[in-house]
Amino acid sequence: MRKKAALILLISVLITLCFLTVDSAKKILRSDSQKISSIKGEEQRRLVLITQDLDTPFWDGVAGGAAQQAEEELVSLEVWGSYNNNEQEFLKKIDIAIQSKVDGLILQGLDTEEFKEMTKVKASFYGIPVITIANDVPMTESLRKTYVGSDQFKAGKMLASSLIQDMGQAGSVVLLYDSHSEFYQEERLRGIQDEFSQYPDIKLVLTETAHTREPVIAATQGVLNTYPDAKAFIALNGKMAGPMIQEISKRFQIKPMFLYTFDDGPELQPLLEEEKLDGIVKQDPEMMGKIGVQRLLEWLDGETVPLNINGYYTDIHIVKAGNM
Amino acid sequence: MSSIQRNILMLTTIVMVFMSTIWITLTYYNYKTHNQYNDILQRYLIMNEMTNATQQVITDLNNYLLDPAEVKLAQLNDSMAHIEETKDEVSTLSNAENQFTLTNYMHMIDSFTETTDRLLLFYGEKDNEAYTKEFSEATRISTYISEMTLTLLDQELKTYDRFYRGIIAQSEEVLKLGLWILLLITLLLLVATYWFSLSITKPVLQLTKAANELSKGRFDLPIEIKTKGEIAFLAKTFDRMRININGFISEMKHKAQLERELQQSKILLQESQFRGLQSQINPHFLFNTLNTLSKKAYLEGSEETSNLLVSVAGILRYNLKQLDRSVSLQEEVLVLQQYMDIQKARFTDRLQLHIDVDPACLNVPIPALTLQPIIENAVIHAVEPNIEGGVIYFRIKEEGGFVLVEIEDNGNGMPEEKIQQILEERPVQTEGHSTGIGFPNVVKRLRLFYGCEDVIEIISEKGSGTKVVLKINKQGVECHDETPVGG
Repeated sequence: MRKKAALILLISVLITLCFLTVDSAKKILRSDSQKISSIKGEEQRRLVLITQDLDTPFWDGVAGGAAQQAEEELVSLEVWGSYNNNEQEFLKKIDIAIQSKVDGLILQGLDTEEFKEMTKVKASFYGIPVITIANDVPMTESLRKTYVGSDQFKAGKMLASSLIQDMGQAGSVVLLYDSHSEFYQEERLRGIQDEFSQYPDIKLVLTETAHTREPVIAATQGVLNTYPDAKAFIALNGKMAGPMIQEISKRFQIKPMFLYTFDDGPELQPLLEEEKLDGIVKQDPEMMGKIGVQRLLEWLDGETVPLNINGYYTDIHIVKAGNM
Repeated sequence: MSSIQRNILMLTTIVMVFMSTIWITLTYYNYKTHNQYNDILQRYLIMNEMTNATQQVITDLNNYLLDPAEVKLAQLNDSMAHIEETKDEVSTLSNAENQFTLTNYMHMIDSFTETTDRLLLFYGEKDNEAYTKEFSEATRISTYISEMTLTLLDQELKTYDRFYRGIIAQSEEVLKLGLWILLLITLLLLVATYWFSLSITKPVLQLTKAANELSKGRFDLPIEIKTKGEIAFLAKTFDRMRININGFISEMKHKAQLERELQQSKILLQESQFRGLQSQINPHFLFNTLNTLSKKAYLEGSEETSNLLVSVAGILRYNLKQLDRSVSLQEEVLVLQQYMDIQKARFTDRLQLHIDVDPACLNVPIPALTLQPIIENAVIHAVEPNIEGGVIYFRIKEEGGFVLVEIEDNGNGMPEEKIQQILEERPVQTEGHSTGIGFPNVVKRLRLFYGCEDVIEIISEKGSGTKVVLKINKQGVECHDETPVGG
C-alpha cells in the first residue's frame, strides 16, 4: 500500500516536472520569434510641421489634419515644436529641420526677425519650401510659398460685427493685443478697426500687453481702472482670454459684459460653455493641416507653381455662447 | 559483452546524450542571445560613435583654426573620413519606426560636412567673418547631431521596448527551465538507477535464498531466475550443480546398497569356508589315509570299496579347494557323479539315477560346489525317506542360447513356503545329513555369480516331486530377463 502511494507520488511529480519543463521551453521558443528588424523602408518625402504651441486643441487639430493628409499622400510627416510659445526652442527646431534637409516645412508664422532670417535665408539656401499655417508672415519678409489658414482680416471683421450686433452701436470696447506685434494679430486688428470705423459711437481702447498670464492680468486691471465703463472686451490672442476674464470677474458681473476672442487659446471651451465668453471666432484647424500638406506637395510635385501668394483661406465662423 | 556491463553503458550513454543535447541547446541559445545583445549594443555604439566623430571634427577644426599646420589638417581630414565611414554604418540602422529621424540624421551629417567644407574654403580665402559664422554653425549642427543621437537612442529604446523585455523575460525563463530540467533529470536518474540496481540485486537475492536452501540440504527445489544476464547464468550453473549433486547422492546410495550386498556374500563365503574348515581335520592326513585305504581295499580284492574310497577322496579334495572360485560345468558334473557313486553304494537299488548330459554345454563357468548341494537335497528329500527308493534325473541341455541344468526327483515335493524361503535366501533348517552347504547359500552364490535373479527356478508339486532348473547364459553371465523362463 505504501509502495503504491509512493509510486503514484513519484509519477505525479514526474508529470508535473515534465509539464513545467515543456511549458518553459515553449515560452522560450515562442519569444524567440521576434527579432530586431532592419527594414529598409522606401524613401518617402519628409515634411515637418513646426509650431510654438504643441498640445493645444487648436494645434492638435492642425496636426491631426496634416497627418491624415500625409498618410493619404504617402509622405512622412512629423510634428515638431515648442510648448507655450517658447521661441528659442521653436527656432531651434526650424534650424534642425533645415539642417536635416527635409523636403518641406509647414510653419506657424512668427513675426520676428530671427524667424524671417531662418525662412528667408537658411531655408532658401537649402532650397526648402516653407508654407506658413494658421499665423501668417508677409511673403515679402519671409519668402514663404503661401499661407494656409483663416483670413484674419475677415475674422476681425466678423468678430466686430458680431459684437456690434450684441452690444449695439455705441460703447467703449477694450481690446487687448500682443505687445510682440504679430502679423496675424495686426490683420485681425485691422479687420476690427475697419468694421468699427463705420460706427463713430464705438470707442476702441487698445491695450498692449505680453501674452503671458501676469502681464495680461496687470493690463486688464489697468484698463479697468482707466475705463470703468467699458462694456465689451476683445482679446486678439486667444491665450489672453482666460486671465482677462478671471480679472474682470473679480470686479464686475461677467454676464452683462461682452467678451470676445479668437479660438487659438487653450482654455476657451469651458469659458464659452459657462457663458463667460460671449463669442469666439472658430477657425478650421483640421482643414488648415490638410490643405497645408496638400499645397506643399502640389508645389513639390510642380503641379501648382507658384502657389497663391495671398494664401488659401479656410473656413471661419462665430460661435456664440447661447448657440452651444 | 555481458548484460550488466551493457546496461551500465546504455544508461551512461543515454544520460550523456541527454546532457549533451541540453548543453548544446543551451549553448546555442546563449550564443544566439549574445548575438542579439551584440546587435543591440552595436546599434547603440554606432549611434554614439557618430556623436563622438562630429565632436572630434569640431575639436580638430578648432585646433586647425588656431594653428593651421599640415599635421592638424591631416587630423581633420582623418576625422572627416571617419564621419563618412560612420555615416555608412548608421545608414544600416534604419527601420520602420526611425526612418524619418534617421534620414534627417543622415542629412544633418551631410549639412555638417558641407558646413565644414565651406568653413575651410572661407578660411582659405581669409574671409574671417564668414568662417567664424560657419564655425558657429558647425558647432551648432554638432550639438543638434548629438541631440538627435539621443532622440534616436530614445526611439530605439521605445521601438524595441517589447523586444528587450522579451529578452529579459526569456533569460528568466531560461533559468527556470534549467532548474526544471535539473530536477527532472535528477529524478529520472534516481528512478533509473533504482530500477537498474534492483535488476542486479533481485536475482542475487533469489540466488542467496536458493543457496541457503541448498546449504540446509534441500536439493530438490529447482532454482528459477527469470531475468537474463550473468546472474541468470550463475543461477543456471547453480541449478545444474544441484541436479548433479542430487545425482551423485542417489548414485552413492546405490553404491552403498551394492557394497552391503557384497559384504553379505563375503560373509556367506566365509561361513561356508568355516564349515569346510570344520571338517578339514588335517585334510591331507585324511586324504592320504583314504588313498591308503583304497589301495588296501584294492589289494584285498574289494574293488568296489576301493572305488568308493577314491570317490570320497575326490569329493574331499574338491571340497578342500577354495569355495569362491569358478569351475567349469564339467568339473561340477564329475564331482556330482562321484558323489552319486557314494550315495548309490549307500542306497543300492533304492536310488535310480538317470543322467543325460549334452557334452557341448560343459564349458560354461559355474561357481564351485553348486550342483552337489542341490542333488544332495534331492537325495535327502526323495530317496532317503522312501523305502522303495526314488528316481533322480539329471539333465544338461541347450535351449535358446541358455544352458539348462535340471535336477528332478520324484519325491513328495517341496512345500511352497520352503521354496520361497530358499529363493529369498533365508537360512533353512537342514534336515538329514548334508555335506554342509545349504540350499539358500547355493542360490545366493549363483545369483551373485551370474548377476541376475532368475538364474534358478524351483518347480514343485505336492506328491509329484521337485524340479530345480538352473538357467545359465551361454554367452556370458549377463542377465536376460526378457527371455521367458521355461517350466
